[in-house]
Amino acid sequence: MGDPRTLARGGHASHSSRCLIGLPSSQVEVDPSRIAVIFYCLGTMDILSTLQLQSGEQDRESWKEWFWEQQISSPYGTGFRPSTYMTPEDHHGEPSEYNTGHLVMTYTALLCLSILRDDFSNLDRRGILHLLRSCQQPDGSFTALPTGGESDLRMTYCAFVISSLLDDWSGIDLDHALAYIDKCYSYEGGYGQSPFGEALGGTTYCAVASLGLAPDTPTSSRATRLAGVNRARTIRWLVQNQTESGGFSGRTNKLADACYCFWCGAALAILGEGDLVNERTLTEFLANCQFKFGGIAKAPGERPDPYHTYLSLAILAILPADHGNDETWKLPRLNPLWNATEDTAQWARAHIPAKAS
Amino acid sequence: MSDLLADDSEWADVVPIRQYENVNPIAPIFYSEEYKDATDYFRGVVKTGEMSPRVLKLTERVIRMNPAHYTAWQHRYKTVMALQVSLEDELELMDEIATMFLKTYQVWHHRRLILTALNSVDAAARELVFLKTVLENDSKNYHTWSYRQWILVHFNDEERLWAGERPYVEELLEEDVRNNSAWHHRFFVVFSSGVRAGDEDREQTLRRELSFAKEKIALAPNNLSAWNYLRGALEHTHTPFTTVTAFVEPYTASEPPATDVVDLDNPLPSAGAQLPCVAALEFLADIYEEEGGEKTAKAVEIWKLLANEKDTMRKKYWEHRIRDALQKA
Repeated sequence: MGDPRTLARGGHASHSSRCLIGLPSSQVEVDPSRIAVIFYCLGTMDILSTLQLQSGEQDRESWKEWFWEQQISSPYGTGFRPSTYMTPEDHHGEPSEYNTGHLVMTYTALLCLSILRDDFSNLDRRGILHLLRSCQQPDGSFTALPTGGESDLRMTYCAFVISSLLDDWSGIDLDHALAYIDKCYSYEGGYGQSPFGEALGGTTYCAVASLGLAPDTPTSSRATRLAGVNRARTIRWLVQNQTESGGFSGRTNKLADACYCFWCGAALAILGEGDLVNERTLTEFLANCQFKFGGIAKAPGERPDPYHTYLSLAILAILPADHGNDETWKLPRLNPLWNATEDTAQWARAHIPAKAS
Repeated sequence: MSDLLADDSEWADVVPIRQYENVNPIAPIFYSEEYKDATDYFRGVVKTGEMSPRVLKLTERVIRMNPAHYTAWQHRYKTVMALQVSLEDELELMDEIATMFLKTYQVWHHRRLILTALNSVDAAARELVFLKTVLENDSKNYHTWSYRQWILVHFNDEERLWAGERPYVEELLEEDVRNNSAWHHRFFVVFSSGVRAGDEDREQTLRRELSFAKEKIALAPNNLSAWNYLRGALEHTHTPFTTVTAFVEPYTASEPPATDVVDLDNPLPSAGAQLPCVAALEFLADIYEEEGGEKTAKAVEIWKLLANEKDTMRKKYWEHRIRDALQKA
């Protein structure tokens, strides 16, 4: 651990830029979710405002080009695939059964392109809305891929953010999707990953953010969705997950983990109750998760990775503690619903082409 | 290690296809030779649409190196179905793979697909036994629990599947009374998944569950899982919190009561218990808030105690409760 009193900005930024250069073969499991990992790296550089410093104009241009190459159309619609891990060397952009867009990758790719300040002129918005329709299941949930795969609240959240980014909800049967979210509510006050599941920090964030993102429908308004005894129970459970260590656990009676500081803390912020977090002890916990050579780990003494690094910085940006004159902790404002800095969110709003009227 | 498929005559007729890479890929992975070799041949068989016994071997090879390779899983499932290979054999292989890669989504998804295709309660019952061995090593594994809950709902057989669940949870809680996954599972079995055989008398079921939770609280008073279960059972059945006031009160005192009287409905904290118990104070305040009127002041008093002394970590939350209650009053 470095000096736990300061935020080791340089170390965290280099950890992320090193990952963008390449990952060791031991990381092969992230290949089928590579854009998500890239999002954590670019997001870290975005929060730390180091993207311009750590990359050249040419890098950024070729990265954008790489991203657009992952946007792929198929009879199921258009979306981003995780990487070229299934793309044959001689490919000519032709679709195949196994080469389709993936909801999590589509969401994170849109944010990455906003971080890279792309103009989105290549975006196939109609195709993306079509992909959402292809992924929605009879129970209202979404699969990650139009050809199947697991469906749970993570995919619901991605479908909702994509609709919100495109400012068009016609790709979703909203009432149906909202009913699915309700079914994931647990007696503890958090949401499980899928119906009947144990209350879990990550998917509680997905549920709360989705409920906050969705526009009013004739049978469901934002105000009534996040209200009443269920809301009070959710707040109680989230607050209770802040453990003696200062960090949040993802489930009752589990140990704290840096990622749950984000999932639980950001869910509270969305509910308008971010103030209820003890941000001083939260910051102390995260400060102690810093790895001496850069990056942030899930718990003190563990190895860092882009996921925990990004989410730790993101919650520090959402719930800043008072650090007096210490400027190292000063971070830009973050939009807790999209999980992007306000500047990047602003860029997305301004540059993702508007719905054709 | 040089057992590359490129050197294997069995694969001589397949044209391996390398992975496409842009001139400047972002976060590329420096694959091992074995992985490159296997995925080159995998892209090759996907291109020709081959589904054969050797494709099963190949997808297994890829999956063992990268269990998150969802395309290998998709193609494997298609091949298993097309060849009509024994699904039991497939499950047996999956037992080993699941144990190795417990935290990979795809492992469990594939299992669901196989069980759905098998469509047999016998197989589902065997799954519950297998899952028990998995949970022995990782008693809170989220994927394993989700899958267990799916098996129960999907095959929905009272006698052969559901009947063993409550005793199983009790076994797990004997080992670790703080295992929230086990508590959650109990709630799922008793309340949220429907009415189990023998549980038709809901009042009696509730009484049994309240006794169970109280007993476990008496054993370890500062166990949030048990308190959350108690709350959940009351709220789910629309039973006022005031019905358990007599049970909760002794846990809010600084010392265990000096009495030999045993009240089976209201087990007392054990002699060495750390008191007062924060969860009990919170509960009592909720009882007072529920009663309202003059009792609100008593709730506020408890919240102040929690904020300033007993649970200072959550000071702002307890102050929020005070504001909220006074606003409503």
